[in-house]
Amino acid sequence: MIAEETLVHELKQKESQAKAFEVLVNTYKERLYWHIRRIVLDHDDADDVLQNTFIKVYKNIEGFKGDSKLYSWIYRIATNESLTFLKQKSKKMGIGDEELKTKMVENLQSDVYFEGDEIQLKLQKALATLPDRQKLVFTMKYFQEMKYEEISEVLETSVGALKASYHLAVKKIETYLKED
Amino acid sequence: MKKDKKNSFNTPDGYFDSFHERLMERINEEEVGQRESLIPKSDGFSVPDGYFGGLTEKVLSQVEQKEVKVISLNPYKKFYYSAAAIAAVFLLIFGLTWKTDAPVSFEDLANNEIDAYFETNEMDMSTYEIAEVVSLEEVELNNVLTPEVGEEHILEYLDENVEDINELNLDYSDYE
Repeated sequence: MIAEETLVHELKQKESQAKAFEVLVNTYKERLYWHIRRIVLDHDDADDVLQNTFIKVYKNIEGFKGDSKLYSWIYRIATNESLTFLKQKSKKMGIGDEELKTKMVENLQSDVYFEGDEIQLKLQKALATLPDRQKLVFTMKYFQEMKYEEISEVLETSVGALKASYHLAVKKIETYLKED
Repeated sequence: MKKDKKNSFNTPDGYFDSFHERLMERINEEEVGQRESLIPKSDGFSVPDGYFGGLTEKVLSQVEQKEVKVISLNPYKKFYYSAAAIAAVFLLIFGLTWKTDAPVSFEDLANNEIDAYFETNEMDMSTYEIAEVVSLEEVELNNVLTPEVGEEHILEYLDENVEDINELNLDYSDYE
């Protein structure tokens, strides 16, 4: 795999930009897709947000100073794009954030790209009850198997606070799943 | 070691010899039990067949399209400004010299009509887009903050909306 510094350098040079961007897309497309998908839930929405994320990365790479790691910068853009997308969606539909979350989970039942059974549907309902940040921490740790240090760079939160947040999320989800 | 003569209890043969192994076994079992939580390992999402295969090409063509769009608009940018300036001058001249029966100006619009326009027309601007058009210098602090928020309102808000005190990321050293 190409070193991050080299990739950033090549992305900023006109002559190597196109090739380097292709490498970047290939490296991050799957990881970013799943990160976004777990926020927006719907495949088509995730596809839109993922493409917007890459376009933003391409347009703003000149401004990337390298203060943080490239992957955490890209993840941060993906997270912001996903949350902004949901805000715009609820505004367009004329409903509140909570109502949108409930609708998104309801839609999963008829989604051809959701193969979960009853327990997975219940898990999504449980996740919809969590505050945005707690849900993010949980999915990044549990399903994306990211390290606390990595999540800490993306969400700009201390490892200690993340651990507490994750622990709390697990407890809440387990309690929800135990309920009939 | 001094023997405890008062102790009338007994243990099975070899109880203490295997204690350590049994203890470790128990700890392992508990750890496995913790890992096997109620939460399913998979969340059930899937993607269309071959989605990731064609994704790179799709993203690259999107980026190219955006680039072409930006280039094609640039040469006209100055023209738009000039056209707008000329139009403004004409409007001003005609507005001042020609007295028509019903001259319509910005002042003629009632405030509620302007409000109604913004409410009924979807502006569809993201926070990024708003930040791009409104410069920081133009934003007064009082435009975004209500100055009369009392302490009891803040506490009431936090009480209702914050489930996890850790999320506030309070730096307790500041209060020591």
